[in-house]
Amino acid sequence: MKISSYLKDKLYVVFFFLGIYVFTLLFLLAFKVNKSLIVVISFLNLFYVVGILCIDYVRKRKFYTYLLENSNRLDKAYLVLETIEKPTFYEGKLVSDILYEINRSMAENVKILEEQNTNFKEYIEMWIHEVKIPISFLILMAHNHKEKFTKTILEQIQRIDAYVEQVLYYVRSENAEQDYLIKETKLESIINNVALKNKDELLEERIEFQVKNVDFFINTDAKWLEFILSQIVSNSIKYRKENIFSYIKIEASEEKDKIILRILDNGIGIKKSDIKRVFEKTYTGSNGRLKTKSTGVGLFIAKNLCTKLGHTIEIESEENEFTKVTITFSKNEFYKVVK
Amino acid sequence: MIVEDDKRIREELKELLNNAGYESDVLDDFLNAEQKILDYNPDLILLDINLPYINGETLLQKIRQKKDIPIIMVTSRATEIDEVLSMSYGADDFITKPYNPTILLLRIGAIFKRMEHLGDTILYKDLTIYCQKGIIKKEDMEVILTKNEMIILNYLLNNQNRIVSRDELMTDLWNNNEYINDNALTVNISRLRNKLKSIGYGEAIETRKGIGYILT
Repeated sequence: MKISSYLKDKLYVVFFFLGIYVFTLLFLLAFKVNKSLIVVISFLNLFYVVGILCIDYVRKRKFYTYLLENSNRLDKAYLVLETIEKPTFYEGKLVSDILYEINRSMAENVKILEEQNTNFKEYIEMWIHEVKIPISFLILMAHNHKEKFTKTILEQIQRIDAYVEQVLYYVRSENAEQDYLIKETKLESIINNVALKNKDELLEERIEFQVKNVDFFINTDAKWLEFILSQIVSNSIKYRKENIFSYIKIEASEEKDKIILRILDNGIGIKKSDIKRVFEKTYTGSNGRLKTKSTGVGLFIAKNLCTKLGHTIEIESEENEFTKVTITFSKNEFYKVVK
Repeated sequence: MIVEDDKRIREELKELLNNAGYESDVLDDFLNAEQKILDYNPDLILLDINLPYINGETLLQKIRQKKDIPIIMVTSRATEIDEVLSMSYGADDFITKPYNPTILLLRIGAIFKRMEHLGDTILYKDLTIYCQKGIIKKEDMEVILTKNEMIILNYLLNNQNRIVSRDELMTDLWNNNEYINDNALTVNISRLRNKLKSIGYGEAIETRKGIGYILT
């Protein structure tokens, strides 16, 4: 609470006082009162006003200053009432009581929303398990009855599956709950799963899939990382350049305290103006509009999942040249326990 | 034996396994599932986690306590936690739905191979094939195969007298971290043929146009 702002707010008191003082002065002069008495009365009046303002200021300052400072300092400003003493003056008590009341009703609201959110998440997870049953059935059918199911149908089923998967991981990445498990995993086998998952499309589009030097153990949740890498690979497939020899190169290397995985493609790349925003939700950039339908959530989810797992993900690109995604895993002895 | 609560899926799975040359049966009623499975005494169990009456993981533990039958967990609950739990209860493998049928078959094949402690050698007519080394021997003649050629030959040998699609071969190669393309597969097969020809089996791998290959 700044004293200047306080005084500005109390300007009406000062004006009122001055008005009355001038009035009193005129009276006193009209009655030809002794000059010394006028001086004494003037001083008394001044003391009175200044005194009241000072006491009022000091009482309020403590409460409001802390309220302001602490609420700025806290990352959860709504907890500020817990950090300050209860005020002793009436106005302050009113404010703090009201704040408590507001807090309480907001907390109730948040709780209801959280509950709804959790329920919704549970429902989505359950729904995904349910919908995977008919998808599994269709894939099996397609395999057993190749004469009835063409390759195109199978591809479409796989697309449905990929979108369903995306929903699942979106829900997981947005949720505060921890439903992942970090343990030591072979990077090579995760990449193998990603390759197998995208095999048909890679072969169909004649994209060379090169994997080199990935024989490392990393600490991660295998399922999550598989999804992250799948998003990156499927982006590389989607944004390939037509009519050239396309490739996706995956390579890892070890440094002192980390393992770095690089996924490089020679696709259409990303514009300089877009690259900073590729991890933003529903940001599609000019590439997303170039080819049909880009949801713009793949990389957003990938980034979110990486953050949760403690990996960093970075993207570099040169338009019309290449896109390179780098994921860094830190080595941590701690996780070796959970094997 | 297939333990799966969705009727249509288990019928398709059965067909898949039968087509691949396995004998398979399904569990229709999940009351007392444990006893029924043990009475049936299968060589391998495909076990779903979501089952009526009993949770697949519990069932897995119960069967494990009594018998050492290989069990592959098959589930749509695809979290790492489920996988680690299943493996710690003694599952031999964990596959998430929807799975690639060829991969499922490869995993099943791998388990049987492990079980039978099949040495590294396969006999084919008067040939001895050393899979690890990638060598075919006929009397005192010897042919050396590359890794890819060996994978292809191995797959054909495991599926003798059945038409094998290019996609199956491709899946097996990719499954072994060999990410080759269509042309390379054709080249590998023709090289493999030439090598077989040099020891008198040039006609062993036949091409069935539009379907695949067959080793007779």
